[in-house]
Amino acid sequence: MENKIVEAQSFIHKHNFLVFISLSILISAVVVYISMQMYNSSGAAQLDLSRPGYVSVRSKVDTSDSDYETYSANGPMNKGVIDNFKEQFKKQAQKIEAVDAFGGSPLDSTALGISDTSTQ
Amino acid sequence: MTGFIAVVFVCGLSIMKIASAQSDQPSDAQIQLVQNNCLALKSTLNQLHASDALLRVNMGQLYESMAVKLMNGFNGRIENNNLNNISLVSETKNYNSILDNFRNDYRAYEEQLSSAINIDCQNHPVSFYNAISSARVARDKVHSDVLQLNQSIASYQSTVGQFESDYLLSLEGTVR
Repeated sequence: MENKIVEAQSFIHKHNFLVFISLSILISAVVVYISMQMYNSSGAAQLDLSRPGYVSVRSKVDTSDSDYETYSANGPMNKGVIDNFKEQFKKQAQKIEAVDAFGGSPLDSTALGISDTSTQ
Repeated sequence: MTGFIAVVFVCGLSIMKIASAQSDQPSDAQIQLVQNNCLALKSTLNQLHASDALLRVNMGQLYESMAVKLMNGFNGRIENNNLNNISLVSETKNYNSILDNFRNDYRAYEEQLSSAINIDCQNHPVSFYNAISSARVARDKVHSDVLQLNQSIASYQSTVGQFESDYLLSLEGTVR
């Protein structure tokens, strides 16, 4: 047993550069694997439009939310303040409700042209 | 009670849809159609994949800002003025929990759609057809989250209205 340890130590001493490179590659592979798992499981992958396949829509991302002001938690409370908030909230709510997100049936067999009736 | 019935109804509907998606096997004619239109189908799915990703990013920002920039700010303002904001905080919590469901359901849908896109529809038309059926169910779930988010926004709005009338009533009481 002791001999084997001595042999291993002498191998490392002889080939320390090779061992260093191999260990570096191994550690980076493990770190990349862990980060890819985190990237996929956290949902970041779904929001990352820099991925291939999203080139056509990348420029259409809405980056200006300047009309979405952060409502300050500090300040007085009175009817005017409430009305002002209601107005801001209504404006944004209308913006959201105007879009029927993920509605429609683009994955229906008929829409895709693979329903039984498509053959008729 | 009405909310409970609605939840049971939505769950039942989802289970039925999943069951029907699983039992919905393609006919021979449909298999033939999938094989004949394989390239066009893949292209359609790729386009949908990209446009839904864009929708997810843009709508996600709006939903997120609604909670972070408006609801939290107003709830904080009420609290800092030592007024009762319990019902509004509860509405915000409900909104955030639906938003979490939306994020998770979208992720599940995207994974399902990606797996459908990656199936070789020329050689495995049945698997491809079934993967599309599952993606359809997953997309319906995302749409149902969107409807719930809209409802939750409306509910927050009406709670703000209720808060306003309570607040004005309490002011009148103080003046008298």
